[in-house]
Amino acid sequence: MSEAAAAVDGLPAPADCMVLADNVHKSFGRLEVLRGVDLAVPSGAVACVLGPSGGGKSTFLRCINHLEKIDAGQVWVGGELVGYRQIGGKLHEMREKDIAVQRSRIGMVFQRFNLFPHLTARQNVMEAPCRVRGVRRAQARERAEELLTRVGLADKGDTYPAQLSGGQQQRVAIARALAMDPELMLFDEPTSALDPELVGEVLDVMKDLAESGMTMVVVTHEIGFAREVADSVVFMDGGVIVESGPPSQVLDNPRRERTREFLSKVL
Amino acid sequence: MSTQTTEGGRARPEPIRAVPVRHPGRWVAIVVLVVLAAMFVHMLFTNKQYEWRFIADNVLSAPVARGALTTIELTVFAMIIGVVLGVVLAVMRLSPNPILSTASWLYTWFFRGVPRLVLCVLFGNLGILYSRLEFGLPFDRQIGYLFGIDDLHARIFGVNSTTLLTGFTAGLLALAMSEGAYMAEIVRAGIQSVDAGQTEAAQALGMRRPLMLRRIILPQAMRVIVPPTGNETIAMLKDTSLVAYVPVTNELFFQLQHIGARTYQIFPMLVAACLWYLAMTSVLMVGQHYVERYFGRGFGAAGAARIRRVRRTGASGEVAE
Repeated sequence: MSEAAAAVDGLPAPADCMVLADNVHKSFGRLEVLRGVDLAVPSGAVACVLGPSGGGKSTFLRCINHLEKIDAGQVWVGGELVGYRQIGGKLHEMREKDIAVQRSRIGMVFQRFNLFPHLTARQNVMEAPCRVRGVRRAQARERAEELLTRVGLADKGDTYPAQLSGGQQQRVAIARALAMDPELMLFDEPTSALDPELVGEVLDVMKDLAESGMTMVVVTHEIGFAREVADSVVFMDGGVIVESGPPSQVLDNPRRERTREFLSKVL
Repeated sequence: MSTQTTEGGRARPEPIRAVPVRHPGRWVAIVVLVVLAAMFVHMLFTNKQYEWRFIADNVLSAPVARGALTTIELTVFAMIIGVVLGVVLAVMRLSPNPILSTASWLYTWFFRGVPRLVLCVLFGNLGILYSRLEFGLPFDRQIGYLFGIDDLHARIFGVNSTTLLTGFTAGLLALAMSEGAYMAEIVRAGIQSVDAGQTEAAQALGMRRPLMLRRIILPQAMRVIVPPTGNETIAMLKDTSLVAYVPVTNELFFQLQHIGARTYQIFPMLVAACLWYLAMTSVLMVGQHYVERYFGRGFGAAGAARIRRVRRTGASGEVAE
């Protein structure tokens, strides 16, 4: 039934992409933040979401792992409806337990890192695999070392977040998300809280991750990163997607006046 | 910009040697305080009413020492029950379940609103309301009538409230349940002091609420919870004197007053009580200092504060630890 609806919108079937958003609406009180967002991200692709602040980018990202409950529309991840179950044409809210299982397959990296300050870098990475998945400590430890090495912080395992630079903290946060072996990674302005000279190290890790075939949705202001890494660029403003397409098209030959205006200010 | 070395060809100027500001007011204050202190000490030794010898003879007597032990027992048990109750109530209060949250609010409203002294007397007299406490099917008699059975008794076991609610238990319950209400507010403040981003990060990793509270939120809330809990413990130690009204007779203040009343040495025994409570709260204050340091050490952010402190003092040459 919903697949038929999707076909009308000209969107692909949920099973054919990693992320599918179909006409997503979200309001906070009387403020309408999302007003019908459609997005399809194929498996292994990198989508960069650009746009002015308050345009609904972060809210949309948080709807993908159900940190925000949407008011209307549908979000699918890995062919599965997010936050709801469809039984006989009726939507049923999922239990917290089932939502948690869905979220555990979606990694998320935050603007302000949100590392657990009372745990060391290694413990931050090990916590969810051990406590949520029940992975044995020795095994989780080995994996944590591997991931910290991958983000270039092999020697920082015993360090507390407060003793790390912003760039290092964000790289630990990426390792923490990867420890759950997610099929999708969400990045919410991952470099916006960083000193300019620390942005590069985080983007390098993300580039590396994209090359390894991870499906990624990245909300960012880094036009250079979008141009280089993204398979598709989405420009959002006023709660809708104004324009989307390959970076060469959206960034270099935008069709909409609003996109052109925004890019002329940030470039 | 360099003011340190001869870099750029300029010599470093002489360090500033200025005449410090004088503070004549401080000297006046010192003189006044010293005179007042001398008057107080002089009075302590010359006023015969103090009966220092009598205080010395009685302050460590067996019944008084037994009373002090009861006071310590009450403090420890009431605080343990109070803290556990407080954590449960705070978690209930912040629960998305409106029934749990309302129940917690009602509990806090009642036990924070009724004075501890009144609670102590109330719990001491609960035997009037319930002569026996029994466990079984609720409303068994009424249910029995519904089915045409007279006097249905579906009770598993019961105790006489006089054996259960002895003075000590009643006093302990009154103090612990009142403490639970205060601790609930302290723990709630602690939980709410943790950044919302921590909840989001934990949720995004697939953690459920109980796990998140236990592993992520409460450990961080401890830094905020521990200092006021120390204050609560000190307040509790003093409030144990209220159980004299339950009545609990082998409690410190009751014992001292009793000796005072019997021997007509009322004031010396009040002084002895002050000395006892001061001694015990002083010990607790030392303990509180170490507990706070311990919890500060276990946490990243506090550890960072320590590092910052070392860096700051390190700049002036000396390291704080």
